Amino acid sequence: MMESTVHPPEATVTVRLTLNGIPVTVGVSPNAILLDVLREQLGLTGPKKGCDHGQCGACTVHVDGRAMNACLRLAVMCEGQAIITIEGLAGAGHLHPVQQAFLDHDAFQCGYCSPGQIMSAVALLEDRRIAGDVATVREAMSGNLCRCGAYQNILAAIQDARLRLHGQEGGDKT
Amino acid sequence: MSDITEPRVIGRRTPRIDGVAKLTGRADYTVDHRLEGMLHGYPVPASIAHGTLESLTLDAARAMPGVVDILHHGHFPDLHRSPNSMRQGNAVSEVRLPFEDDRIHYHGQYIALVIAETFAQARAAAFRVEARYHRDAGVMTGLAASDDEGEEVRHYTRGEPELAFGIAPVILDETYTMAAESHLQLESHATLAEWHEADQRLIVHESTQGVFYQRNALARIFDLPEERVEVISHYIGSGFGNKLFMWPHAVATAAAARMLGRPVKTVLPRQQDMMTTGHRPASRQRIRLGAELDGSLASIQHDSLTETSTVDRYVDACGGATPSAYACDSVATHQRILPVHHGTPCPMRAPGEVSGVFALESAMDELALALDMDPLALRLKNYAHQDPQRGLPWSSKHLDRCLESAAERFGWTARDPGLGAMRDGDEVIGQGMAAATWFAGRQPCAAEVELRADGSVVAACGTQDIGTGTYTIVAQTVAELTGVPIERVEVRLGETHLPAGPLSGGSMTTASTLPAVAAAVHDALTALKARATEPGGSFAGLAADSLGVESGALVADGRRADFAEILARHRLTAITGEGSAAPGDERREYSFRSFGAHFVEVRWDPGISRLRVARVVSSIDIGRAINPVAARNQVEGAIVMGIGMALLEKLDYDPRDARLINANASDYRIPVHADMPEIDVELLDHPDFRFNEFGARGIGEIGLTGIAPAIANAVHHATGKRLRNLPITVEQLVEGN
Amino acid sequence: MRTFAFARADSVARAVASRQGEPASAFVAGGTTLLDLVKLDVMRPSRIIDINALPLKGIERLHDDRLRIGALVTNTDLAYHPDVLADHPLLSQAILAGASSQVRNMATTGGNLMQRTRCPYFRDAAAACNKRAPGSGCDARHGVNRMHAVLGGSSECVAVHPSDMCVALAAIGATVTLHGPHGEREIEFADFHRLPGTTPHLEHALDGELIVAVTLPPPLKPLGTAYVKLRDRACFEFALASAGAMLSLDEGLIGEVRLALGGVATKPWHCREAEALLAGKRAETGAFEAAADLALADARPLSHNAFKIPLARQAIVRALRDAACAARENDT
Repeated sequence: MMESTVHPPEATVTVRLTLNGIPVTVGVSPNAILLDVLREQLGLTGPKKGCDHGQCGACTVHVDGRAMNACLRLAVMCEGQAIITIEGLAGAGHLHPVQQAFLDHDAFQCGYCSPGQIMSAVALLEDRRIAGDVATVREAMSGNLCRCGAYQNILAAIQDARLRLHGQEGGDKT
Repeated sequence: MSDITEPRVIGRRTPRIDGVAKLTGRADYTVDHRLEGMLHGYPVPASIAHGTLESLTLDAARAMPGVVDILHHGHFPDLHRSPNSMRQGNAVSEVRLPFEDDRIHYHGQYIALVIAETFAQARAAAFRVEARYHRDAGVMTGLAASDDEGEEVRHYTRGEPELAFGIAPVILDETYTMAAESHLQLESHATLAEWHEADQRLIVHESTQGVFYQRNALARIFDLPEERVEVISHYIGSGFGNKLFMWPHAVATAAAARMLGRPVKTVLPRQQDMMTTGHRPASRQRIRLGAELDGSLASIQHDSLTETSTVDRYVDACGGATPSAYACDSVATHQRILPVHHGTPCPMRAPGEVSGVFALESAMDELALALDMDPLALRLKNYAHQDPQRGLPWSSKHLDRCLESAAERFGWTARDPGLGAMRDGDEVIGQGMAAATWFAGRQPCAAEVELRADGSVVAACGTQDIGTGTYTIVAQTVAELTGVPIERVEVRLGETHLPAGPLSGGSMTTASTLPAVAAAVHDALTALKARATEPGGSFAGLAADSLGVESGALVADGRRADFAEILARHRLTAITGEGSAAPGDERREYSFRSFGAHFVEVRWDPGISRLRVARVVSSIDIGRAINPVAARNQVEGAIVMGIGMALLEKLDYDPRDARLINANASDYRIPVHADMPEIDVELLDHPDFRFNEFGARGIGEIGLTGIAPAIANAVHHATGKRLRNLPITVEQLVEGN
Repeated sequence: MRTFAFARADSVARAVASRQGEPASAFVAGGTTLLDLVKLDVMRPSRIIDINALPLKGIERLHDDRLRIGALVTNTDLAYHPDVLADHPLLSQAILAGASSQVRNMATTGGNLMQRTRCPYFRDAAAACNKRAPGSGCDARHGVNRMHAVLGGSSECVAVHPSDMCVALAAIGATVTLHGPHGEREIEFADFHRLPGTTPHLEHALDGELIVAVTLPPPLKPLGTAYVKLRDRACFEFALASAGAMLSLDEGLIGEVRLALGGVATKPWHCREAEALLAGKRAETGAFEAAADLALADARPLSHNAFKIPLARQAIVRALRDAACAARENDT
């Protein structure tokens, strides 16, 4: 019955998920936020807290392949899901082509928003429904604030990474 | 030190050496640090702006899981106020200590700090703290709601500005306002404090632009010797000025760590960060210009009023750039401040001058129209070939070239000056321009460089990299002077046990730090040469000063010996050099400023009242750019921030009670990707060797000056509306409103 | 952020039953509104019921050419669904004009209908707000009310319904399927949201029910659509005024026409009278302006938002013009 699975506020709920490709079991409070669990309990401080209300995108992670704000998601909602953070984007000692493009184009300053920008950029480039023209990319990236204002270089990095990942034609619907 | 005239690494596009750490999530920002046994602090903000805290009810909060303690006015140690001295290096943003009394001076002021085992527990308990207030009458909600002209704090006069204004054939007298702006740096202020009882030491991780200022202030506040306080800030999620000087959360967190004997971390929630850790204050500026019929300026008068809080006297000096902006014999500036019930303001990128340049460069555009002159021609007509404020020559000024080059790339000559005359489909094109300027300064700096037996070099300095690229330019400097590949250079910044470095502020870090690093490199190389020329050394018998340095080796007579080889021969793991640098006599001989020009195209769709910035073309004269890619990034970012200033950004205080109602990253609007225009930034390359041997002046702030007026001027060109109140929002533009 | 109990629902019936036993509980789907407001202490659920495991994620074309959208279909998947792009482009345009990629990936169809207002006084637990705390007053009416409603407000509440997607649904004329303790029922989308009146805390027609689907009527063809959203910044921004228009043309005359507004009203605002005025008229500026004037005839400004009336007028005229333009293109 439903009632048997109500976890009281003080309970510790066991959540099983795949984190950066590795199965993880973690005990969390019902009100624990995914971002806080990643950062405080699982030691993954790549996803950043900028606003804690889904307004800045610094906490962006991939949940089952979709870019999401980890600050607006309960950890208990992630049961059985696959989560990728910036730490899991590339193998140890390697950079993902998007990370490499960000480095090459100086697509950051303070770097605080960069993990979120990169996770959004990777999701954007992997989603063939999203057109590759500049206006569409700017719109699709607008959930990631960069107060340093490195937008020009971020855009250049994304379009460069698009070529590296998909070649001249790929991923470009327009 | 000799000028670096033919560099190999300096001035070359260099990927940031901290880039991989930042782009893989490994960079350790303050918020990322954890310590064994660490507790979490969550402040409770006052919900009124002016009055008294009558009572706090803490029972419910204390009973919440994980709560360890709650600090407040009745439960806080006696501490000392910082002397708040720039000279002593212990300036703070707010002198008042947290929980000092029961007075409430602004919305969001801390009334308690909840300490709990986890962040979630601290936040949950903070919501259960109940406060009762007595609201006082006479709340000051902002200068816009008041006729009070405040208190005069600064003035400057040369010539007879009033007289000249009175007889000038063409005059302009207008008032310009700017709303208060939030820095909205993406990393909130954060403190992780650790108290070591055994040896009475305080170790603080803080997201700060000035580790030494914070150390010195904490030492005074906690009455500790400076050497027993350590402040660490390896990576900073930007600051733009609001992390220059310490705020009360850091004091409260350090006090909690000492009281509880456990490390405590407080990360300010975004709302509280925006309420309590500074902002660019709102300003009202009156500009009076008098001109001859040929456009020559006869008089400039610039009167500024800016807000401060009721607990501090922050002066946002709007008129700072005005006396040296144009060749004009009669100039006066007056600066006044007005206390209001907001959190204390603080410097925000190009503080004061950026507001002043908005008013002055808007007024110049208006004057050009009144004179029927091209706005660009009016600037050139009044070009200041030497500094009219100090009567000294400029060390290096190429503003004329900036204006001409940017105008050419922009296509200014094709501009139809008629208002609303340039159309493209539904849209009207507006084009405007403005000049940019920011002072060039230096601070004293010390540095240390270690040549290591493994062939690597370590450079260390207690300044910070706030995203401007300091790590990388220090490494470039070491690579330049030693010939060691940059990959083998390690840079340590942001710790108070390193040699004392400057604040990351005022665009002074590059010019302050690199000469000290260079001195330390030379010191280390001198020591190395001395070893190498000792008996038994690689160059025994040669004079030390006959040795050259090449690719990480000493060379002479066609022979070479790697640094590592020399160190190994002497059984040394490393050799260390120390250096320091400070501004010198050049200040008496020259005036130092950076210059630039912005040309902006806006697109105005009157059918739907949509305004957007479509194109910005800028030329900037900052001397030499040490790392051009990072320098250009600074200007591009400043342009984006300037679009926010011109069209979006405004802290909204309720006109009834001074409560800040848009303290979040959505209702306070900063530009997003989609707001970004086409940007074309040119950095002129005229090294300023009168300033330092690197020829570099600094670039963090100048790009922001002049953007807002260039946009406002373009808006006028498109719409025919002269808008003098920032931000320019749709209600000022829509027909029928 | 307060504490709460948590449960996962494995069937619609059990989800509804769980809520019956705990009236202060809340369903969570995307969480983008709920968790935002729980963190602000504005919503204080005693229990959160996760409905993401429910089988409500499909988009199904019914035999009569209606399109049934499961309540858990994300905004992103809805906006890019081939049938939506082909038959209901206004819905796709409106969704993509709202929020951010991340929020659209999380937010769901049912959740979007449940989106709460962005009124800053509603979002500040220390302010007076009849919607959040009935009877406490309205700090917005004489406060900073630049973003507030000029249509549908009352002396108790002038908070704007913030959704873009709902503007399209209002124009399209969807139906909403609700599942409650006594089974399922369907209501018109127009009847889902309530005007604030004297009870602004009652925002919708739900009676202990869960939204399980939104169904779109058979498509109008050939038609043109336009969603014009006017806002301060270019993206990731709520509307100051928006207009969604769809119309078909017959020999230059307007045939079917739909018009709805966002950003200016206390609920998604369907302009029926303006539609009636437009039907049969020549698709030209004069007709569009007359329709806009009629749509806004009852608009009443507050101290800071008078600009919204001319702005909404512009949004309507432009949306109708662009929709007519698109209809002409689609016809050829």
